[in-house]
Amino acid sequence: MKPFAFFPGCLIPVRYPAMEFAIRQTLPKLGIEIVDLEGESCCPDPIYFKSKDKVAWLSVAARNLTLAEDLGLDIFTNCSGCTATLSEAYHLLKDDELREKVNKRLKRIGRKYKGTSRIRHVTTLVRDEAGYDAVRESVVRPLDGMKMAIHYGCHLLKPSKIMNVDDPNNPEVLEKLVETLGATPVRHRNWYLCCGKACQQEDIPLNMMRALLSTVKNEEAEILCLICPTCFSQFDHGQMKVSKHFGDDFHIPPVYYFQLLAYAQGVPYEKLGFERQRFKPESLRRFATSSVQVES
Amino acid sequence: MTKASKPTNDDVVQVDFDFRRQLAKKVEGNLASFCYQCGACVGDCPAATYSDEFNPREIMLKVLYGLGKELMIEDSVLWQCTNCYNCAERCPQDVKPAEVIISLKNMLADLNIYPPAALKIIETFEKTGRTAPLSPAVDRQRERFGLPPMQPVPMDEISKLLEPATDEEGTE
Repeated sequence: MKPFAFFPGCLIPVRYPAMEFAIRQTLPKLGIEIVDLEGESCCPDPIYFKSKDKVAWLSVAARNLTLAEDLGLDIFTNCSGCTATLSEAYHLLKDDELREKVNKRLKRIGRKYKGTSRIRHVTTLVRDEAGYDAVRESVVRPLDGMKMAIHYGCHLLKPSKIMNVDDPNNPEVLEKLVETLGATPVRHRNWYLCCGKACQQEDIPLNMMRALLSTVKNEEAEILCLICPTCFSQFDHGQMKVSKHFGDDFHIPPVYYFQLLAYAQGVPYEKLGFERQRFKPESLRRFATSSVQVES
Repeated sequence: MTKASKPTNDDVVQVDFDFRRQLAKKVEGNLASFCYQCGACVGDCPAATYSDEFNPREIMLKVLYGLGKELMIEDSVLWQCTNCYNCAERCPQDVKPAEVIISLKNMLADLNIYPPAALKIIETFEKTGRTAPLSPAVDRQRERFGLPPMQPVPMDEISKLLEPATDEEGTE
């Protein structure tokens, strides 16, 4: 098993522990060893705290990265926001002047940023370290023919020169990962739209989400597969606001990819925390008995 | 045919270089100087699509003129940005308008101007080191999934990092 330092962030372990549970269930089956960090903080978030003070934001991000550097490991994230902050810090701190500024602050706590740990979002970690075939082989109950709309969100892919994850105009990692489950990925017309969470003028995200959910509905997708907890909160809680505001009834359950993978690997539906969602992916239950070997 | 009147000083935009210098001090704030107003950032901008007020090219133009007064206000249009970085992907000059907008928000923060929702999250982070608040209920939920309780963040370290540079450390 190949070890990687796990950076869970705030939103997933605090608000959506089912997603963290799914990560911890699925990765070891793909040959990835999860090494927990000690003393990590918020990444800090790339929207709010970064908007207060970029230098302080970079300094805290650099401190988080030094925790993985101490272990001599690359770091992996399960949230697109954490991925954005840590990847940007890694990129910006290649600049000598900026690195010196940040290291002056880190010196106050006896730390030094070296830039030796790379940052990987869990989807690309799985793609690059395990490979799609290994994911397919780990599936014991294929979600055959289930139509899943794809939502990449923004920060996994962009800015592409910093994230280095996939082609931002024509990405494939999420489609490929959905295919390994036996499901059918659907790239709806508004696939590139943002969830709108960062926007502080409510009408904009409401209209954006409505446009996106409409095209997902038109494609007759059963769920919206995504890989970011912020996008999840928008399309779950936010979908209720959209319905209330416009009187639409989309009823499209958003689901974090690794919960789908855990389910396909045999973890029972009831153990995956879906009952906490506003829109529950009940249609997954039709595969409940289709497994050869289901874990108790 | 009437003769064009001679422009007076009132017709000429006065560039506020001081505002631009302040922005250039923020990380990547200086990138705006490379903008040549082509507008490539606008087409794929989701906020521009759904808002009558938000236009990244216009914001870069205001920066070039140093029209900070139009941006450095409560309810600033800057906070309509969705931070999607489509503009940065499209920009032929690598201006990263989304990043310049965050630098402008840093200037807003220097004036102590924040949208209330953003300020609440910032304060939670400064107090607890996390953007989502911890509680016993959180740990009970985690226990249901066999996950250990959340560990507190070493705030002594975080607080020290948040302090601005001392004279000894030099200017930032």
